[in-house]
Amino acid sequence: QRGIHTSTAPPWLLTAVRLKYTPVLTKDPPLGGQRTTSTFVLDQPRCVFEDYGNADIWLVVALDRAASTFNNTARPGSPETAFQSFPKPVRAYMTLNATLVSYPCPKPAGDITVLRVGSETSCAQDVMRPTCNGPLPGPGPYRVKFLALEGSVPVAETEWSKPITLIEGRAVRSPSSISTKSSASMIAITTILSILFAILLAGLVAMLVFWSSDSCGGSSTFSKPESVTVRRYNTHHVYDQPAARL
Amino acid sequence: MAKNDDCVHVLQGLLVFGNVVIGMCGIALTAECIYFVSNHHDPYPLLKATENRDIYAAAWIGIFVGLALFALSILGIVGVIKASRTLLLVYIILMLITFAFEMASCITAVTHQDSLTPEHFLKQMLERYQKSEPANNSENEVTKTWDELMLQNHCCGVLGPSDWQEYTSAFRSMHSDADYPWPRMCCVLDAQGHPINLDGCKLGVPGYYNSNGCYDAISGPVNTHAWGVAWFGFSILCWTFCVLLGTMFYWSIIEY
Repeated sequence: QRGIHTSTAPPWLLTAVRLKYTPVLTKDPPLGGQRTTSTFVLDQPRCVFEDYGNADIWLVVALDRAASTFNNTARPGSPETAFQSFPKPVRAYMTLNATLVSYPCPKPAGDITVLRVGSETSCAQDVMRPTCNGPLPGPGPYRVKFLALEGSVPVAETEWSKPITLIEGRAVRSPSSISTKSSASMIAITTILSILFAILLAGLVAMLVFWSSDSCGGSSTFSKPESVTVRRYNTHHVYDQPAARL
Repeated sequence: MAKNDDCVHVLQGLLVFGNVVIGMCGIALTAECIYFVSNHHDPYPLLKATENRDIYAAAWIGIFVGLALFALSILGIVGVIKASRTLLLVYIILMLITFAFEMASCITAVTHQDSLTPEHFLKQMLERYQKSEPANNSENEVTKTWDELMLQNHCCGVLGPSDWQEYTSAFRSMHSDADYPWPRMCCVLDAQGHPINLDGCKLGVPGYYNSNGCYDAISGPVNTHAWGVAWFGFSILCWTFCVLLGTMFYWSIIEY
């Protein structure tokens, strides 16, 4: 708990410096949970708030259409920015409080430096914790920006991010029981086998017809021929016969 | 004339050879189908739950067809050698019946292959995984099967962990998305069964969660089975067709 320092700066200094940084969803490394149905993952704002070592850096999460009307003088932890009243009537809440110490520059290579928005489920209903980083109540779209406050004075802010839309779960379609695409192999097998079976049946019918016509008497069967050998008749005996009669 | 004798002998030899091959293939088919039926893979409860057990029906038919083919091939060999018309007629008729059964089995196996789409498993998984009040035992089995499947194959969901995001599910109604973007079994677990890095898993950091889907692990073995039964059966049938045609021709040229 830091002490709250009220600033006595003149009004014209109350305009926060607009830094040229846009909060983005984490692209590197590619995360499977970059956007889920109630959370999303942002890159940490490293090397952005270097001049504001004394400030508290807050994340402002707003409904897309409420981003332009957000007032930087809104105080975190107040009922106007409490997470538990988001999205109705509160249209933008503030959470994920940190100081520059949490975002050292430069980022060590190989470290995964992310902010998971929506990860705290324990305080989502707890009105005593208005700055809870609770799960987002719908698919959005949402826009976020970082705001640096010294005390309650806004000293720096980033650009608003592009609209972030979360994944919306839908009911799974019932699979059609008959697959709409008849695969080629099924058609091929069925056709070929049916043709083969039909040929065999035809052959069987022909055989049976053949058999019954055969057994009725017509010997049109091609029987295995006897092995016929031509034998030479002994003609000597025939010539002898007439000679014997004379 | 001697040539005709030789032709007949050659035909006899071919038919005997054909029948020997059929007999051996019949034994092989029986063995293959017994292996499929007895080897109840892990995905079996999932298939049972999708009421898609045709592949097992096809395998059971395959067992009996294989035995029938073996027995009939012996009958065929005897009939060819004895040149007996009656035996061969019986052989041909019984073979045709077996042919019809095997045809049914092949077509069932191939059709079944087509119906094993991811959507079937997706719907079942989303509706039954970790259902809060399981109506009957099979729902518990589905959860257990999926847990084992995801643990052993290092996979998550059917198509990927995004299944749990893109679709509503029984799991989602029980567990908040922020705490459980996907089930804990999708995380890379250590030896005690705890995620090695829970935050990494929830964020979806590569290396701390399983990012690929389990569909390949499920459909792989079942598809191999279906292919085995279907295409081996088909090739046996083609060979049988040739042998039967030869037998019919042989039948017509022998005398009583």
